[in-house]
Amino acid sequence: MPIQAIPMTLTQTLVMGLLQIVVVLIAVFIMVPLLTFAERKVIGYIQVRLGATRLAGGHVGITGPMNRIMWSMGKVPMLSIVRGLPIFIADALKLITKEDIIPAKADRGVFTLAPIISVMAAFGVFAAVAYYPGVMFYLPKGFPIVGGLPFQGFITDVNVGLLFILGLASVGVYGIVLGAWASNSKYPLLGGLRSAAQIVSYEVPLTLSLLVPVLLAGSLNFKEMSILLATGKGLHPLAIIPLFIGFFVYLTCGFAETNRVPFDLPEAETELVAGFHTEYSGMKFGFFYLAEYANMIVVSALATAFFLGGHYLLPFGLQRFIPETVPFLGQPSFIFFLGKVCFILFVFLWVRATLPRYRYDQLMDVAWKYLLPLTLVNLFIAALIRFAF
Amino acid sequence: MSFLRTLIPFDIAGGMKLTGRYFGKVFFSANRKKVRTEIKHFTQEYPEVAVRLQPRFRGRLTLLKDEQGEIKCVCCLACEKICPTQVITIEKGKKEGRKMPFPVRYDFEMERCIFCEFCVESCGFDSIILNHQFELAGYNREDFSLGMEGMAQNMFEPSPVGRHSVAED
Ligand code: SF4
Ligand code: SF4
Repeated sequence: MPIQAIPMTLTQTLVMGLLQIVVVLIAVFIMVPLLTFAERKVIGYIQVRLGATRLAGGHVGITGPMNRIMWSMGKVPMLSIVRGLPIFIADALKLITKEDIIPAKADRGVFTLAPIISVMAAFGVFAAVAYYPGVMFYLPKGFPIVGGLPFQGFITDVNVGLLFILGLASVGVYGIVLGAWASNSKYPLLGGLRSAAQIVSYEVPLTLSLLVPVLLAGSLNFKEMSILLATGKGLHPLAIIPLFIGFFVYLTCGFAETNRVPFDLPEAETELVAGFHTEYSGMKFGFFYLAEYANMIVVSALATAFFLGGHYLLPFGLQRFIPETVPFLGQPSFIFFLGKVCFILFVFLWVRATLPRYRYDQLMDVAWKYLLPLTLVNLFIAALIRFAF
Repeated sequence: MSFLRTLIPFDIAGGMKLTGRYFGKVFFSANRKKVRTEIKHFTQEYPEVAVRLQPRFRGRLTLLKDEQGEIKCVCCLACEKICPTQVITIEKGKKEGRKMPFPVRYDFEMERCIFCEFCVESCGFDSIILNHQFELAGYNREDFSLGMEGMAQNMFEPSPVGRHSVAED
């Protein structure tokens, strides 16, 4: 589905870019609180509880009407899962209105800078992620300046998109390390150092596992790669083997990169109070929180685009068995992309509720002794398939 | 073989299967009424839904009656003697057409009761139980002095604040 360049003036390009950035930002800002709500619910269900079901105050007071509405929704079997949903607004309000404390001996400048770096690295990555490799819809004619122009499913079309994403994602660790150091406290410093060691270690198998799709697709462009890997055009049927192994390795490293359970040593509550963000409060802590969840979304989006067939129905290049003439299932759709991203986010929560945390030496063992050789072998298989057949 | 076991995380898969099964169970039965399936979760949505108590739950002391509506107690005073906090006071009496003694007064001061169930165990006639009422708050000390019918506080009636508890034995 090649897209021909659309003639646009400079103003139109800028306004269009701004529009897309705003849409993506709003989407992420909606998805992150929803994800925290889903986390409470999913972990609750797995632990045979109900999770969040109501706001404070019961059936009286300010939140009374809201609770009564949610209560009546609870009678409907499927709707009962969204009971407690307004809690995510309450959570966000709490973070925003909380007092912002900076410790007396902290390095004020770096202390403030650290969450900003984290958030910028997490959100900047979205610039190169393609949610839909083409025109999603056309803006209405009456729209000021950019009326009638196509709205594309990506912000920029970087030809080294994957490199950009990996580079920016590893900047995120600076936020953690700097914040930990600037707090001038023991526990955050330990958390930050652990985080640095962990992310540097897991960056290696992560990048190597992402090299498999790069090798098979022969491109670094996010859009081209996701189309090619999904439709399987020019891919040998055997390519499913390295893609399959690569998917699991990538997901494991993705857990480590985003500091999620079972690799959440930087914020190990039992040993380090709260890890690198012990001294943070208010919206500064909120930024770290936001960055972690945005990173989860990015990892899911990458796994979806490169391994699970992106905006097509079937993963691992199996889409070639459905001819493009089939009405809905054969066509690319944003819904498939969203569904797969949500599924991987669900797997994040599922794993969190299942697995205990690794010990520190086990963590390093997993990265260097198991994942690294596995990815190298996997890369070798991919290279064989690419060049021998 | 052990190499394969190292490579493929069977244990993780087993754990995920277990938690996934529980997720599915609760997900499809999370609605509050018993609509399609039995309720599988352990959360009690207390003020709105009646609490699911264990059968052995020890609530407020109550005298039992037999089929004719007669009080089963025969005033052997075993419960009064065994009560560690001495909160039961029984006054023996006679009643027309009844061979056994009959309690004219059976006072139970709940404020000091420790809900140990010794009285129920010691009763050889199975004439008292601790029922399933647990909402026993009161505004005055007098609210905790329970007695037979005719007293201000009656131990046969549900507790005044007990709107939601299940008052059956
Ligand atoms: S439960 Fe224990 S304390 Fe209460 S009345 Fe019976 S014997 Fe006495
Ligand atoms: S032990 Fe039973 S029968 Fe005897 S006085 Fe107490 S309640 Fe009545």
